[in-house]
Amino acid sequence: MSDTMHETMNDRTPVIELKHVDKHFGSLHVLKDINLSVQKGEVVVIIGPSGSGKSTLCRTINRLETIDSGEILIEGTKMPQEGKELARLRAQIGMVFQSFNLFAHKTIIDNVILGPMDVLKKSKKEAKEEAMQLLSRVGVDSQANKVPAQLSGGQQQRVAIARALAMHPKAILFDEPTSALDPEMIGEVLDVMTKLAREGMTMLVVTHEMNFARRVASRVIFMDGGSIVEENTPEEFFNHPKSQRAQDFLNSIQAH
Amino acid sequence: MGIKELLSQYGDQYIQALFTTWKLTAFSFAIAFVIGVAVTVMRISPVQPLRVFAEIYIQIFRNIPGASLLMLLVYALPYLDVLLSYFVCVLIAASLIPSAFCSEYLMAGINTIGTGQIEAARSLGLSFMQIIRRVVIPQALRSSVLPLTNLLVSTMLTTALASQVPMNPRDLTGLVAHINTHAVGGVTAFLISALLYCATAVVIGQVGNMIDRKVRILR
Ligand SMILES: Nc1ncnc2c1ncn2[C@@H]1O[C@H](COP(=O)(O)OP(=O)(O)O)[C@@H](O)[C@H]1O
Ligand SMILES: [Mg+2]
Repeated sequence: MSDTMHETMNDRTPVIELKHVDKHFGSLHVLKDINLSVQKGEVVVIIGPSGSGKSTLCRTINRLETIDSGEILIEGTKMPQEGKELARLRAQIGMVFQSFNLFAHKTIIDNVILGPMDVLKKSKKEAKEEAMQLLSRVGVDSQANKVPAQLSGGQQQRVAIARALAMHPKAILFDEPTSALDPEMIGEVLDVMTKLAREGMTMLVVTHEMNFARRVASRVIFMDGGSIVEENTPEEFFNHPKSQRAQDFLNSIQAH
Repeated sequence: MGIKELLSQYGDQYIQALFTTWKLTAFSFAIAFVIGVAVTVMRISPVQPLRVFAEIYIQIFRNIPGASLLMLLVYALPYLDVLLSYFVCVLIAASLIPSAFCSEYLMAGINTIGTGQIEAARSLGLSFMQIIRRVVIPQALRSSVLPLTNLLVSTMLTTALASQVPMNPRDLTGLVAHINTHAVGGVTAFLISALLYCATAVVIGQVGNMIDRKVRILR
C-alpha cells in the first residue's frame, strides 16, 4: 500500500466504518441505526438468525444496496452515490458471495484477471502471472483453464476468493461463503479464509460456522431484527452471551 | 413452361436473384444485429428515457407488418424530401423489424445470466459499460446463437419484401413475380425459388448448430 495514502489517515482510522446506518425495504426496517467499525487486520464475524439483515449489511458496504441515512466510510472516505469514484472505492473492498458468482463464460484464470485488467489497468501478462500465484495460493491452479461449471463448489468459492484478492482489496466481505457448499467442501474454503486472516487480511464474515468464529474472529457481532444486539470477543460471546436473543440463538444452533 | 425451359431461359437470373437475396439478407442481418445490441443496451441501462425509447422502438418494429413499413418508406419519405433507392428501402424495412426480434432474443439471453454475476462484476469496480461489454453481451450472445440463427433465416424471408417494389436486380421472390407476368412459369417458377430459399436456410441452420455447440456456456 502506498505511503501517501496513509498520511491522511492515522493508524486508528477504521478500514470500514458505518455510522448510524438505516435502511428500509418498503415498510420493512431492515437495518436499524447500525454502528460498526472494522480496524485493519481485524476479522469481524457477523452471526444472527436468517432475515436479521446480515446480507443487507454486507451489501450496503460496497453499495450493492443503497442506504436511507447514516454514512459508510472506507478508510475515512465517504462512499459516494454513483459514478467513477464509487467504482474506485468498490474495487478496494472485495466481496465473496454465497453462490460464488463466477463469470460462467470465462475460464478460471480469465475470471481472476478481469478486474486487474479492466479496473486496475494491468497488462494481461502481469495480471496472468499474479492470477496464477493467487490460484495456487488457494489450491486451484491446476484448474486455471477450465470454466466454472467444471469445478466443484468448494473449488469455485476458492476461485472467487482469488478473484477478490487479485484486486488487492483493503478488506474482503464474505456473505455466508460456505452455506451453498456440500459439507465435505466447507473445510477447504474455511482453511483458505483462516490462512488469509492469519496473514492479516481485514475481513467481515457472515457465517454460521461457529468453530470458525471461535478460532478466527477478533470480534463477533450478533444481529437480530436489523439491529446489532451484541458485540464481543468470541470467548465472551460464546461462553457468556449477554442478551436473551443471543442465548436463544446459540441454543438453537447447538440443538442441531 | 417446364423446369428445363425455365432454367435455360431464366437460369442466369435465378442465380443473380439468389445473390441479391443473399446480399439483402447479409446486410439486413448485420444492421439488425448492431441495432439489436444497441437497443438492448438501452433497455437495460440505468437511464430511464433510454429505456422508454427502446421499449417503444421494440413495440413498433415487433408489431408492424413488413409490407406496411416498406410502403411507408417508399411512399411517405419522399414527402419529407427523403429519396431512397428501392434497394435501400427494402434494406431498411428488412433490418428494423429483425432488429426488434434480435433485441428480444438477447434479452432472453441476458435473463439467463443471473444477478449474482452482475453484482460480482460491480463489486470488482467495473463500470456499467465494462459489465455490458465483458459479462452481459458475451453471455447473451453465446446463449442466443440458435434464436439468432432462426432470426437470420426469417430475415432472409423478410427480404422477399423486395418483390413489392420494382427493384433491379430482382430478388428470388421478385423474379418469380416477374416470370409469371411475362410467361407462364406457374408453380414451377415458384418452386425453384422456394428450393433456393430452403437450401440456404438449411446451410444457415447447420452452421448455427455448429457455432452453438462451440460457444454454448456450461452451467
Ligand atoms: N431486495 C429486497 N427487497 C425486499 N426485501 C428484502 C430484499 N433483500 C432482503 N430483504 C428482506 O430483508 C430482510 C433481511 O434480509 P437479509 O439481509 O438477506 O438477511 P440475512 O442475510 O440476515 O438472512 C429479510 O426479511 C429479507 O426478506
Ligand atoms: Mg443472508
